[in-house]
Parts: sequence; C-alpha cells; structure tokens
Amino acid sequence: MSDLFTHVGYGHFLALSAVLFTIGVAGVLLRRNILIIMMSIELMLNAANLTILTFARMHGDLSGHSFALIVIAVAAAEVAVGLAIVVALFRGRRHVDVDRITMLKH
Amino acid sequence: MKRVVLALLILVGLVAIAQAQGAAPSPAPAGVTHTVVAPMGQPGVSTPPTDVDTGSGAWMALLFWTFAGVAVLGSIFVITRRNLIAAVMGMVATFFAIAVLYMMLYASFLAVIQMLVYAGAIMVLFVFVIMVLNKPEDEPWGLVGLPGKALAGLAMLYLLVRAVGVLWNVTPPDQKVAMDAPPQIVVSWREQPKLNDPRPTDQNGLVPVSERYDFGSTAAVGNSLFGEYVFPFEAISILLLIAVVGAIAIARPLKDDHDQPGVS
Repeated sequence: MSDLFTHVGYGHFLALSAVLFTIGVAGVLLRRNILIIMMSIELMLNAANLTILTFARMHGDLSGHSFALIVIAVAAAEVAVGLAIVVALFRGRRHVDVDRITMLKH
Repeated sequence: MKRVVLALLILVGLVAIAQAQGAAPSPAPAGVTHTVVAPMGQPGVSTPPTDVDTGSGAWMALLFWTFAGVAVLGSIFVITRRNLIAAVMGMVATFFAIAVLYMMLYASFLAVIQMLVYAGAIMVLFVFVIMVLNKPEDEPWGLVGLPGKALAGLAMLYLLVRAVGVLWNVTPPDQKVAMDAPPQIVVSWREQPKLNDPRPTDQNGLVPVSERYDFGSTAAVGNSLFGEYVFPFEAISILLLIAVVGAIAIARPLKDDHDQPGVS
C-alpha cells in the first residue's frame, strides 16, 4: 500500500486526469454562470491533455506532444469566441445565467 | 480558504528548499537533461537507471502528490466559488500545477506553452471579461434540492469510478510499471553536401544526417510538428484567424449602440 504513495507510475497521472475531468464535468453540470462553465471546459481540456502527454511518455512517441499543442490552440480559439459571445449576451440582457438564456429554444 | 492557499504555498516552498539543498538527487528539472541514451527499438541500457532516470523515486512522489493536490484543490475551488475572481485564481493555480506535472512527464516544451497560453493569455482574457461583466450571481447552483444533488453526486461518482477504473489498468507497451526515462528522439534527414564536405554521400549525392534530441524538448516537438503534423499545424493557424475575426464580429457593438455614420 505504501508503494502506491512512494512510487508514482503512469496510473497516477491517468487517475489524476480522470479526477480533474470529473470535476470539470461537475462544474459544467452544476453551475449556472457561463464563465464558470467555460473554465470547467478548460479544465476538461487540460485533463485530456494530461492523458495525452502521459500516453506520449508511456510510448516514447512525440506525436502526443503535437496533439497537445493543437488542443491548446483550439482551446484558445474556443475561449476567444466563447468570451465574445458572453460579452455580446451580457450587453443585451445584463446577465449571463445559462438557465435564462433561452432565445434559441422557441 | 486563504489559509488553505497559504498552507499549499508554504508546502511548495518547503519542497523547493528541500530540492535546493540537495538532500536527494534532484528530480525536479525532468526532461531538461537525461543521459540515458537508448536508441529507439533497442532496449539495452548498460547502466542501471537511478531514481532520476526512472522518475519514480520518493522525491518524485512527493512532487507528484503536492502538485496533484494543488490541481485538484484548485479545480474544486473553481467550481465552488461565487466570486469569479477567486475562481480564476484557483484556475491559475490548477494550470500551474498541471504545468509542473507536464515537466514530470518530460514534456518541458508543453509545460512552458501551458504557462504562457493558459495562465498567461486565457486567464487574462477571463479576468478582463469578468471586469466588464462585474455582476454578482443571484443563484450560483443549477441544481437545487436534495434529489438533484444526490443524483448529480451519484452520476459524478459513477463517471469517476469508471474513468479511473479504465485508466488505472492501462498497461505500458513493454509491461513495465516503473517510469523509465523516455528514449531520445532520433531525427534523420538528407541534406545537400556543402563545399568540400568530408561526410559520405549516398547514391543520390545527398548527405544522410541523424540527430538526437531530448524527449519533449523544443527541437524534438518541432520536428514532429513541422514534419508529420504540418497540415494540422497550418489548419490551426486558419482556425485561429477565423476565431479572431469571429470574436471581433460577435463582440463588436451593434449598429444602434453608436449611430456614427461610416461605422458598420
């Protein structure tokens, strides 16, 4: 049992990324503020990156590093567009509560 | 909550001091230098690997648990705070801890990019938008009532158990649990010989060159990115251009906000 704590293996990193991903999912599901939801999405992307890099190290293959870099760039693009949408929404209706933004629903 | 953050900072400082005093072989700058040279496909390494090479010693474990704890606590901080600036600070701590974990995974270039792009650019963007919005939340939680919370908790627990159960049992390709140092990346190419080049040429008159780069270093990642993955890289540049134009188009004030002539 002490070996679990003193010898860090690949499973530790993968389990940590699973924990971070779950926290991100919980943030998306539980919170109503759209900024917190976007931060939770960033958290999930980071957890996926951690998994990719762990597998890259496990296989000694650098393709995973290229994938992770591309994921980071896509996350940056997503944040730019998402925050622009948030600003545009807030300008019209003075709140960013996702439960009350239903104009595409009807 | 301030005390928790302070305690974590003190713990990180203690780890740094212990590292600096050299009480153990320092595993911190993983990925910067490692001397085990094992060509890809050849398993034989003459010297027995030390803790620094395997990255699985007790000091490495201390670093891992410290920064894994910072990452998990910071992300919980993110999804529980009502104050948005506090949430952003938790996010920055999480990104910093994840960058340290990237270093432990020999991904030094990605760690620096993580710090620059996430903690530097994306979080600053969040802070600016929060500054523009600056409105306290009325009801921060989407699920109210005990049944909803219990259902959400059970669903999260199920997701966590299943994800950890799958990922924990992943076996490395060579059936080793210990994390040996990854082999150096060998990059080979052919180039035109220079004038009076003593190097031998092949039948096409080109000089075969082979270089070794550390795993995860900028040169190795660049060789992968600009060689095999050059099309995704170029596609990313177009995506970023579209995203920037789209962000400006969406966030621009509407026409009737300012009725200046000529501003469309």
